[in-house]
Amino acid sequence: MTHTRHGVRGGDPPAAHRPPLPSGPTPLRDRPPRDRPPRGRRRVSGRITTFALFALPGLLAYLLFVLVPIGMTAYYSMTNRNPFNPPTKWVGLRNYAELLGDAEFLKALANTVVVTVIVMVLANVGGLLIAQLLDRPTRLYVALRGVFFTPVVLSSVVVSVIWQVVLTDDGLLNSALRGLGVEDPPGWLSDPGIALYTIAWVITWQMLGFCVVVYLAGLQGVPRELQEAAAIDGCGPLARFRNVTWPMLAPALTINTVMLLITGFKAYDQIQVITNGGPGTGTTTTMAFQVVQTSFNGNRVGYGSAMAAVMLVLVACVSVLVLRVLQRREVTR
Amino acid sequence: MGAEAEKPAAGGGNVTLSFLVFETPNLDAAFWDAAIARASAKVPGVTIKKLVTPNVDRTGYAKQLDASGNLPDILQSVNPAGFAQAGKFAAFTADELKNFVAPTAGAVAGKIYQLPYNTQVIPVVYYNKTQFAEAGVTETPTTYQQLLDVSAKLKAKKITPFVVGGGGADTWADMYPLTGTVATDVYKKTPDWLTQRAAGSVKFADPAFTSAAQKISDLAKQGYIDPAGLSRSYADTEQAFRDGKGAMYPMGSWFATSADNKKPDFEIGAFPWPSDDGSLVVPTFTGGGTSVSSTAADVDLAKKWALAFDEDQQNNDAFVKADGSIPAIKGYKPPADMGPVYKATVEIYERGMAENAIVNAFSQETGDGSLPPGLADKTAVAVQDLITGKKPTSEFTAYLDDQWAKATQ
Repeated sequence: MTHTRHGVRGGDPPAAHRPPLPSGPTPLRDRPPRDRPPRGRRRVSGRITTFALFALPGLLAYLLFVLVPIGMTAYYSMTNRNPFNPPTKWVGLRNYAELLGDAEFLKALANTVVVTVIVMVLANVGGLLIAQLLDRPTRLYVALRGVFFTPVVLSSVVVSVIWQVVLTDDGLLNSALRGLGVEDPPGWLSDPGIALYTIAWVITWQMLGFCVVVYLAGLQGVPRELQEAAAIDGCGPLARFRNVTWPMLAPALTINTVMLLITGFKAYDQIQVITNGGPGTGTTTTMAFQVVQTSFNGNRVGYGSAMAAVMLVLVACVSVLVLRVLQRREVTR
Repeated sequence: MGAEAEKPAAGGGNVTLSFLVFETPNLDAAFWDAAIARASAKVPGVTIKKLVTPNVDRTGYAKQLDASGNLPDILQSVNPAGFAQAGKFAAFTADELKNFVAPTAGAVAGKIYQLPYNTQVIPVVYYNKTQFAEAGVTETPTTYQQLLDVSAKLKAKKITPFVVGGGGADTWADMYPLTGTVATDVYKKTPDWLTQRAAGSVKFADPAFTSAAQKISDLAKQGYIDPAGLSRSYADTEQAFRDGKGAMYPMGSWFATSADNKKPDFEIGAFPWPSDDGSLVVPTFTGGGTSVSSTAADVDLAKKWALAFDEDQQNNDAFVKADGSIPAIKGYKPPADMGPVYKATVEIYERGMAENAIVNAFSQETGDGSLPPGLADKTAVAVQDLITGKKPTSEFTAYLDDQWAKATQ
């Protein structure tokens, strides 16, 4: 479709240029043939075809890489599939029933919730604080935004390796602490009482930059006149933040919280690289980690699929719930 | 990996076969590239596409590749348990195994799915002679009580007696003290203990195994094993011993040549893990060679290449020099210029052979009479519970029995 001096080629001319509509019956030669749809309907069906063609690759990819695996996981979850112990048999809901009493899975679920809550709270709070500090127009602050965003673009494996070097017993942190006179520094990765929180910290550190950027975008959308009006009304910085900035940041909070929620629930890479689920049984095992361990190391693909299905439903339900709750407080302008 | 058969090899063409290897500080990329080139020179018509595991857990990675339909054509040191029973690996014939010293080692239902190309002693206790001298220890311990006495002396001098690691994905590196105590307390009396466990006539919770596990728990409780070391990867653990952060390093015999090649500023000695009564017990593993996928595009050619890889004199020399292996190929003699730590390690093995003191190395076994697939990894993780004190020994053994049941259901 190209624009011409008289309108859009291939479409109707503008109303001002249209000839007057005949008042009598349409001459036979001008009537559309009976087996052809009216012109408007043809245009709509043409558009649908165009949209379908554009959407097809994406839909196919979604079907192949999302829907089909989900369907296969759901199917496998009702079998005893074990590649090393064929044949595969249908077991119905037996795997799900076993999950309810599986202490390892329940521990992984609890660990996942702990990690997710810590990541959601720390990354949100830290991200907001840093965004407030960086919300300045100078070049230094613009450069600092890039610095804070760097961990987000790094691979989780790279981030994990970096933190492993920092946190092992002979690592940078404990060496520094020993240098400062701490005789017995904490075993960040070897103490079962600390390791899970260490993992949560690493994930928080990586996601912090994302939260900063989203909050910065939100802060830049807060109208100056509102801030100024509040200041004229006698609001101090804290009151302005509580009554003006914070409500306007509701969409940013929603985005960050949902993204952090999903990140926390999916936590796998950091655990695989840094602790391998340890120290000891189940200490830092998350649901995603447990799914991989059960399916590949334990060869119980059917049972692991049931775990994955539960994880999918949990993440979806919690995400939708959180999204609904947070969207209610968003300000519409 | 569903080998890409470009042309049939019989016609003088080329077959590309994937080969899964793993890299360690001893077996680096250059090592594998050179060894692959030597084997390929002996088997015309084969092009090898090297695949490297993301960590040393090659068996776990092979399972992942298999699950996605990408099992490599040839695999190095992958435990055949499970793969063999499921028909995923090709068996080697007796004729193909004629050059191997132990052609039945690691058999699954009488068939060999992994070439038994080398023997490893697991563990050997490597020790820092300087720190032993500082603690006034003049002789290496031969009984378990003497080992405790030595540990007490070292601790009194503020020297950590044992360096034990297992951080990150290298959880397996924490296994070796337990492999030692299981050898002396369980396998010495009952060499086929795991076969009996499979039959259900013994359990991990039985007194013999519990006693072996309790020793590890006690070593940690007495401060002879530092739980903080569990954060160290395998490479970091080795480095910690080199840096003098502990006096004894229970590790597989592959450490020997590493010790000789990269000498620390102290002398390293070696002794076998001591038994209660002082009798010699040498836990070993024979196997560890290549396996061939039964779905390789040209299984016969893949087996031919695998045999060429494992039987090649230069490759074995390279394995000896880089990884301290004790090749189990008939007529093979290690290079004469091997270092003192390797020689001390081989001497322990030869004493074990002479005194009929060889037993299996717990959790390292392959084939019949080995842990069910996946359980060795679970055991290594659970050992950390013993070392950190998170679980008492009774819970540790109950956990292993529970995991055994799950792995075999």
